[in-house]
Amino acid sequence: MNTVAPPRQLVLRTPRQLIALRLPLRGLVVAGLLLLALLLVSAISLATGSYGVALGEVWETLRGITISRVIDNVIWEFRFPRTLCAALVGAMMALSGAVLQNATRNSLADPSLVGVSQGAALAVVTLTILFPELGSGWRPWIAFAGSILVAMAIRTLSQTHHGPSTIRFVLMGIGLSAFISSITSILLTYGEIDRAMAALAWLAGSINAASWGDVWTLLGWAAVLFPLLLLLSRSMSALRFGGITAIGLGAPVTLVRNVQLAIAVGLAAIATSVVGPLGFVGLVAPHAARRLAPAGMGLHLVLVALFGALLVALADLVGRAAFAPIQVPAGILTALIGVPIFVLLLIRSQPASSS
Amino acid sequence: MSEITASEPVRHRIRAWSGVLPLLAMLAGAFLFHIAVGAKPLPVTTVFDALISFDPTNFDHVIVQNLRLPRAVLALVVGAALSLAGALMQGVTRNPLADPGLLGLTTGAAFAVVLAQTVFGVAALAAMPWIAMSGALGAAVIVFFISRLVPGGATPLSMTLAGAAVSAFLGTIISIIHLLNQDTFENLRVWLTGSLAGRDITLLWYTGPWMLIAFVAGVLLAPRVTVLAMGDEVAQGLGVKTGWLKAQLLAVVVVLTACSVALAGPLGFIGLVIPHVVRLYVGSDYRWIVPYSALVGAAYLISVDIVARIAIPPREISTGIITALVGAPLFVHLVRRRAR
Repeated sequence: MNTVAPPRQLVLRTPRQLIALRLPLRGLVVAGLLLLALLLVSAISLATGSYGVALGEVWETLRGITISRVIDNVIWEFRFPRTLCAALVGAMMALSGAVLQNATRNSLADPSLVGVSQGAALAVVTLTILFPELGSGWRPWIAFAGSILVAMAIRTLSQTHHGPSTIRFVLMGIGLSAFISSITSILLTYGEIDRAMAALAWLAGSINAASWGDVWTLLGWAAVLFPLLLLLSRSMSALRFGGITAIGLGAPVTLVRNVQLAIAVGLAAIATSVVGPLGFVGLVAPHAARRLAPAGMGLHLVLVALFGALLVALADLVGRAAFAPIQVPAGILTALIGVPIFVLLLIRSQPASSS
Repeated sequence: MSEITASEPVRHRIRAWSGVLPLLAMLAGAFLFHIAVGAKPLPVTTVFDALISFDPTNFDHVIVQNLRLPRAVLALVVGAALSLAGALMQGVTRNPLADPGLLGLTTGAAFAVVLAQTVFGVAALAAMPWIAMSGALGAAVIVFFISRLVPGGATPLSMTLAGAAVSAFLGTIISIIHLLNQDTFENLRVWLTGSLAGRDITLLWYTGPWMLIAFVAGVLLAPRVTVLAMGDEVAQGLGVKTGWLKAQLLAVVVVLTACSVALAGPLGFIGLVIPHVVRLYVGSDYRWIVPYSALVGAAYLISVDIVARIAIPPREISTGIITALVGAPLFVHLVRRRAR
């Protein structure tokens, strides 16, 4: 008799089984390692820059001990919020991609590839150039509105009487992105030069100007959206098997799919509104997490978030350290890593179901 | 029997011929209008005079000859070249979504030009066509190679996705070069959005001969593209050496695209839009699609450039932005229609 020993795992349950997480040990170990790497990158990031600070001094400063006013200033006002921003934005983009891939059942979906980022970009550029008197507090909301409109447009357009097709969804995204980007370009050409320059810096996907305000914005939204995702994780696992099976398993498919899309769009829009479009993080992180450790949906999402955070933190660190004093925006580096992976995934994908 | 089978092509041919004259008139009209409008509007009669009997002491004539005529010629040549390239690509790849921009050729050419100018400091105009051609060819080869590796082969979808990926990658490297060489990059910035404004017309002397050869070759090869569009097996059965023909067509497409990019930067969606519009009128015979695409494409880009110049005075929109604005919805429409 062949009895396969179940993988060693921990099970976490909340009292009424709203959440039940099976945690395979390998997944937990990988999560721990990712967290460690993230902390390490953050520490190096805090210490690196035009004003070098020793790692020990970073630690002292973070504990509230003032070594010098300059170090205090550099760490607390510039590098710490920036590092936090990078990690948060990375986690949000990665989760957005994971949810998008689950909802569309398309392993190539990424917020930047299907026009969601461009929708947010157009909305924010419009805000920056045409309505500068409205403060940056409006940014997340406007970005969310822009993204959700584009997402809905793409969803409607890719829905034909053959039903939704995954690859058509991506093609629609490419077409619509080109259209939206050209409107954005018109605004940039036509708009007042100062405002256009501000919008341009943001468009490159740079974390240069991150402030504590941005950190609080991101944290606030993350505090709402992350738990919501964990609540959804069980229905999301059902959706992994496709719509019909998921209905059979008792998941409210249409509702879950729509909520998922809203969350995916929300995460990408908030992250985009703060640092600008960061390409391909949402594409890469879910695949990397799946490769690193098999896990149930809940833990998978945690791994995805950690990997995304690590990826963007690293991209930000490399971008500002490698060619110093020139700062290469993190978005450029994530695209540089992401595109070859996209090609690899394209080559290894299943034949398109409908074309 | 023979009457019935022969009447269809004959009717098409009559229809196709009947379109040539109105089309030429339209092209000439757009060309003259393009020269006439601007910060200083000129009457068409003045434009005529300036073109026919140039008077170097007449200020208006100088405007026409030195500023506006070169730009109109540029729009004419580039519009014709990109449309013809798009038409040939759609025939060869049997891909209704084929376009020099979507399949990465224009970004490849732009990448090569940027790399040569900013990193290696090549400024010689004579070298530009060669540099752009090698970039376009490289990108084309990579895109087709990737799309062949995708399960299901080189379908329109896999080609478009591969093209988007290669474009994104090369575009990113262009951005990095841009960041690292901010001074030298300043003059390439406008060019990179696809613009006909302030281009160095002497470049046309270096690219012109190549483009002329490619134009003629494209029109001469067109009849065999019709056969090729029926599929490789049919074409081989009819005695066409498909491999050799494809290589020739690739050369034509690369030359036309690369020279267009060198002249006006990466202009998107023209090669996608025009052949589809032309097909509505002349059917599926590439003997007609190819030359018609060249004519309509020329008139189209001239018109687009007029819009770019006068839409929001005194500023100017990059021509490439408007071609994307018009072309992207058509792309979406084509993707949708293929689904049926």
